[in-house]
Amino acid sequence: MSTRITVDPITRIEGHLRIDVEVDGGRVKNSWSSGQMYRGIETILQGRDPRDAWIFTQRLCGVCTTVHAIASVRAVENALGIEIPINAQYIRNVIVAAHALHDHMVHFYHLSALDWVDVTSALKADPAKASALGESLSPWPHNSKREMEAVKDKLASFVAGGQLGIFTNGYWGHPAMKLPPEVNLLAVAHYLQALEYQFKANKVVAILGSKTPNIQNLAVGGVANAINLDNQATLNMEKLFMMKDLLDEVAAFVQQVYLPDVAAIGAMYPEWLGYGGGVTNYLSVPDLPLDTKGTQFDLPGGTIVDGNLATLKQITSFRDPYFKDNVTESIAHAWYDGEWDKHPWDEETVPRYTDFDGDKKYSWVKAPRFEGRPMQVGPLAQVLVGYATGHPIVKKYADQVLNTASAIAKVKLTPAVLHSTLGRHAARAIRCATLSELALKHLQLLIDNVGKGDVAIFTPWTYPAGEQRGFGFHEAPRGTLSHWVVIRDGKIANYQAVVPSTWNAGPRDEKGQKGPYEASLVGNPIADTAKPLEVLRTVHSFDPCLACAIHTLDVEGNELSKIRTLT
Amino acid sequence: MSDEGGAGKGTESRRRLAVIGLGNVLMGDDALGPTVIGALEAQYEFPPEVAVLDLGTPGLDLTPYLLGLDAAVVVDTVNAPAAAGTIVLYRREEILKTPPQPRLSPHDPGLKEALLTVAFAGDGPREVLLVGVVPGKVTTGIGLTAAVRAAVPDAAVAVVRELERLGAPPRARPLPSPPDLWWERR
Repeated sequence: MSTRITVDPITRIEGHLRIDVEVDGGRVKNSWSSGQMYRGIETILQGRDPRDAWIFTQRLCGVCTTVHAIASVRAVENALGIEIPINAQYIRNVIVAAHALHDHMVHFYHLSALDWVDVTSALKADPAKASALGESLSPWPHNSKREMEAVKDKLASFVAGGQLGIFTNGYWGHPAMKLPPEVNLLAVAHYLQALEYQFKANKVVAILGSKTPNIQNLAVGGVANAINLDNQATLNMEKLFMMKDLLDEVAAFVQQVYLPDVAAIGAMYPEWLGYGGGVTNYLSVPDLPLDTKGTQFDLPGGTIVDGNLATLKQITSFRDPYFKDNVTESIAHAWYDGEWDKHPWDEETVPRYTDFDGDKKYSWVKAPRFEGRPMQVGPLAQVLVGYATGHPIVKKYADQVLNTASAIAKVKLTPAVLHSTLGRHAARAIRCATLSELALKHLQLLIDNVGKGDVAIFTPWTYPAGEQRGFGFHEAPRGTLSHWVVIRDGKIANYQAVVPSTWNAGPRDEKGQKGPYEASLVGNPIADTAKPLEVLRTVHSFDPCLACAIHTLDVEGNELSKIRTLT
Repeated sequence: MSDEGGAGKGTESRRRLAVIGLGNVLMGDDALGPTVIGALEAQYEFPPEVAVLDLGTPGLDLTPYLLGLDAAVVVDTVNAPAAAGTIVLYRREEILKTPPQPRLSPHDPGLKEALLTVAFAGDGPREVLLVGVVPGKVTTGIGLTAAVRAAVPDAAVAVVRELERLGAPPRARPLPSPPDLWWERR
């Protein structure tokens, strides 16, 4: 007999992401992913000046502000045929890379490590052994016995003070928690250190963006960062070198702590390198452009079908028709009026809510498809495309993670293990390490170019008459993000944002093909239906972001999320 | 002042305070926090130790803004059993009295989780006042409902009173400017 589990964070106003799974014999047999919140924020943009679109779109989401700003200016520049100066590309690239460094570190340490790390078990750890383990994995200077003792003391006093509430979502003591106490202690120490290093990455975004969250320095046509190396009020030598110092420190943490931590966790939960694959069609877009036109990039993009790297087809420019012509969204199972499957430029957003019905309509999220296929997006997609193209930095860090994990697990792990729940975490760390090098590279490119006397940051332009259509893509921390704009006589006529979590969290399409979250849960074990930790592990590995558009606080202890089990 | 986890600190020994507005300006009454920040900046000058921030809806990304603070005043919409536009005040202990819930999206965590996270790092504000306003309508669209808009001046006054109590009173501008609520302009 099967058991139905619903994990449904609810609020008084609207819910967010809801997952339903049917469990039979301790395994997930079927699943449904539902966005419980109507967005449709794009409709706010209709009739506005396209120059302002990025300021509004970066408020679409409170966590991923920068990425919507970047995709939006690229979409309008694409529609109007504007090339931006190379300094503007480099400045945007440093922002993009620094933002992603911050985001990936927070996701791993502060938002999902507790799915794997049992904090209370760390109290039983021997600090000397934890230190020895850390020092065997990496040259990081902050793994000493003294530092491990200090973290253990801090944790003990936190527990004694009854403040462990922060970790209630970690399900400590759950039978699926398997790390030895020393690994748990090391992870808690790095959880605390990561707070400091993610902030350093975010500081770089703040220096260039004037403010964070919600950067202020973009413009359709370039950036607003005046460059004068000797002026205190502008982007100057002092600020450039301050950013270099920050990025050096972040790179050390990512390469010496984050990367080995993920390898160790992967090696100690080897079964999770087998669960959670799901949709193995992958999509990523190229990013970190190296020229003004957007035809050469430092991060690779393309598609892979059925997990077969030999099917790689690359996306090679900001105007590539392979991307432009092949994206559609289906509303066959989403709460919108009609049954269509349309290109983003041709969509209309007419909400029509009916009850949750897994056979009919059950989500506010549309189902994006590429050449009719569901696609998984995110760091794993970019790492696999990088592996397939022979991207040297991606390959270096991918091999490093696989070799470290193989040595700990004492089995030979191949890139095939990346199609899994923990593979997504490993790929995020690989992408983060890749970006830790590329952020410094693009900062240096900026310094060198400015050193040659080029201080151009903006290309002047005017609106042409009539209608223009454009798209802008950005490989955001959660994966491929694209904005699609139709401009008529200098005003926005249509605007659609196809966000990474739409690709991954979307429902079935008209052919009944499951979305990536849905497909990835099938076959997962469930040890305890009242505490479906395994569902959270797989869903968290995608780094979902559906919940940020609204967030009214609930202080009175009203139930904000609930887990229901129906037998 | 402890020097642990001090990512957010300057080197000065002065106390640090922040007024933080939370909310999404594109979601109706959820714009309350940023609107109150706009009103405060238009009407007052703040002493240098007070940062006045519109942080949108940062989820756990609120954490770094709390590091190194001695006190924080947070303005946001709050679910409470009262009419729309009602102002409700909560202190740190009340915010933390119930544990956080299991979450599905990593972006669900909010003020409570951020306060606990910085506390675990041995940092963060010891004094917190949440100036909450009960929302009327939180759906896609720009603009506050009449009841919530009417609460904006009182919410701003509650922030000013708290800063006075903390010994960091803002000074009323002799010539207040209209607030820069850019999202309400067409």
